Amino acid sequence: MTADARRALTALLVATLSACSAEPRTATRDSAAGDGPQATSAAAIGTASPSGARIAVPHAGPPGEWQMPAGDYANSRYSELSSITPQNAANLRVAWAFSTGVLRGHEGQPLVIDNTMYVVTPYPNVSYAIDLAQTGQPLKWKFRPVNSQQAIGRACCDVVNRGAAYADGKIFYNLLDGHTIAINSATGNQVWRTKMGDLSRGETITMAPIVVKGKVIVGSSGGEMGVRGWIAAIDAATGKEVWRAYNVGPDRDVKIGPKFKPFYAHDRGKDLGVTSWPGDTWKTGGGVVWGWLSYDPALNLIYHGTSNPGPWNVNQRKGDNKWTAAILARDADTGEMVWAFQVTPHDMWDYDAVNENILVDLPIKGQVRKALVHFDRNGFAYTMDRATGEVLLAEPFVPMNWSTGIDLATGRPNVVESKKTAQDKLVKDICPSLEGGKNQQPAAFSPQTGLFYVPTINLCMDFTARAVTYIAGTPFIGGSAPEKGGPGGYRGEFIAWDAATGKKIWGIKEPYPVWGGALATAGGVVFYGTLDGWFKAVDARSGKVLYQFKVGSGVVGNPVTYTGPDGKQYVAIYAGIGGDMGLLIAGDVAASLPYDVRERGTTLPDLARWTSWGGELFVFSL
Amino acid sequence: MRNQQRTRCLLMLCAACAIAGCERSAGERSDTSGSIGASASPEQSTTSNLLVAGDSLRFIEHPDNLPAGFPSSIKPLLVTNPYEGDRQAITVGGQLFIGYNCMDCHGAEGSGAMAPSFQDGRWHFGGSPGEVFESIYQGRPDGMPAWGGRISNEQIWMLTTYVRSLASKDLSTENFTGKTVERSGH
Repeated sequence: MTADARRALTALLVATLSACSAEPRTATRDSAAGDGPQATSAAAIGTASPSGARIAVPHAGPPGEWQMPAGDYANSRYSELSSITPQNAANLRVAWAFSTGVLRGHEGQPLVIDNTMYVVTPYPNVSYAIDLAQTGQPLKWKFRPVNSQQAIGRACCDVVNRGAAYADGKIFYNLLDGHTIAINSATGNQVWRTKMGDLSRGETITMAPIVVKGKVIVGSSGGEMGVRGWIAAIDAATGKEVWRAYNVGPDRDVKIGPKFKPFYAHDRGKDLGVTSWPGDTWKTGGGVVWGWLSYDPALNLIYHGTSNPGPWNVNQRKGDNKWTAAILARDADTGEMVWAFQVTPHDMWDYDAVNENILVDLPIKGQVRKALVHFDRNGFAYTMDRATGEVLLAEPFVPMNWSTGIDLATGRPNVVESKKTAQDKLVKDICPSLEGGKNQQPAAFSPQTGLFYVPTINLCMDFTARAVTYIAGTPFIGGSAPEKGGPGGYRGEFIAWDAATGKKIWGIKEPYPVWGGALATAGGVVFYGTLDGWFKAVDARSGKVLYQFKVGSGVVGNPVTYTGPDGKQYVAIYAGIGGDMGLLIAGDVAASLPYDVRERGTTLPDLARWTSWGGELFVFSL
Repeated sequence: MRNQQRTRCLLMLCAACAIAGCERSAGERSDTSGSIGASASPEQSTTSNLLVAGDSLRFIEHPDNLPAGFPSSIKPLLVTNPYEGDRQAITVGGQLFIGYNCMDCHGAEGSGAMAPSFQDGRWHFGGSPGEVFESIYQGRPDGMPAWGGRISNEQIWMLTTYVRSLASKDLSTENFTGKTVERSGH
């Protein structure tokens, strides 16, 4: 059977199965199928779905390559490769492995371009170019950047790096010490190096950049250090900064001008990034950009989230604290803000809004909408109109108790009074915990099933805010929040989510928070890894685990898939526990040296029994 | 009694404004030519060691760094903690540990987080009083800020006293019996 025939058969099976599923979903799908123009445009970019749902932007480069952090500008983490199917996934095996030589949290993912794999490690942010065309995968080059050691102690949540971007023969990535660099992808030579963040004030960089129309888009970390968040564009050819927009402060700095058309009335007004804060507190208010970036070429908009307001102690910052804990849409050429939506206004629980924004066209109530789907730390899954910033629906995707729901007239959450935090007040059993219903681990979307595959966290916390003084270069937190397992006796779940209706379709309960990302494929198989070190292949329709393999360390990275020089489909994933969850509360993996022995924290009391520090790339094939 | 007064005074200083405290002690430092003893009590200066202009090449003793019989014309500074074993200094040091945001890096009660633990008995830069003082005063290359001149030497000694009081646990074995400890995020 040819690949095309196989794909057609799979699509047919999916269509048949979804026709048998719950009534409301069938109705949605039927009405979408009759939508002529939408179906045509979907077919044109090759990501058509029987459901009428499609990824807004096509895969970057050939289907057998992985050129962007999420595979495409839409952040779908979907691949057209289809050799690995529910029928044969049990035959997966490790094809090869590579030690990165670095311990600590391996978030992010490799890139694959022209039979070469590019790997970036956690601090010291070494990069490797691995030659896939030769037996034994020798290195083409290895690059170790100049990277200030001071950065190690300025990064709040482990010394992670979420990956590189590629364009025009250059690999771009961020260094923990606040620099962005460009490397010649053929030679490994540094082309340019630009200082973007001020390490002395606690600005580190961990996020993966994207390249849009010759500009590298980057943002910083440091939301717990009292920094003032920004997003910036760098000329990919020269390394010169083209524009920089702050996320708090006066309209001029935030780049709010004539193009700004927020959907909700309460987001309109002059200098709200100043007036929604007491005094000068906006200057140390956080709102950084450490998560994933999306881009819609048709609307020419970049989408990014902003982190929590600082400090955690709400008594020190009365007001909405704009534009923290928000999703912002900006003009890709100038950085001007086009719309803004504050997901958690006046955040009281450390609910950053930096999680990825997935751009899909979804049939909703009989009409195909240009949607943006966002699984927030606050526990709600938002399906929004990405042209206007309107919330179409918002439903909880994890157990939660701090809000009774989102008011669709205003987009604001209805907050439960007893879960509001305040200075010197112990507020018990807030769900989800500050790690959120989901954190940095990105979800994936399959146009075949019309479903989102979401790694989630089920933890709760007891929160106490306290007064804190700003001291440059030290944490500006003002609170503590011991965590514990959420209701139901599990701490994480890998779920399939229908964003058109706001419903969970299936879930795989996990003993630990799922801190690694997801990958969806046209073969009908979804992949993810777990904190206790299992790499799993799952049937995209049923959630049945088809294959699992215990890798050398807990997984906090994201799987990618590519076609090797031999024509086979491969799936690659990092093993290397760490990140916020791994570093801070996972018992002996939290020790300052990997061989240290530590008493274990209460949140994940026995994780250290199942895994240990590591830093390795695993590659699987049939 | 005098100790108590000083304790109260330092606490007020800390609570009032950390930065104002820094400026004051920066002036203080130049007045006393960089005394690393308890600079508020001049009578102690005969027993504490002074780092004066002519001593610029001297270093605080790191016993493990001195090979036996190594010929050296430089006599290392043997510094003593004026608050060694002082319970009140431990209490105040614990409050300074929170007030100067040390806790947010090193964890509640020094359990370790962004920055190393003080409970595991492992000292990356030496655990003697002089070495710990030096780490706080000068800062360290992995991101530990230098506090010398930003806060008073007395406060650095109290922090030293507190931090050293935490390193009491024997953590050489982990046997997975299910015992857990409370540890807060961040």
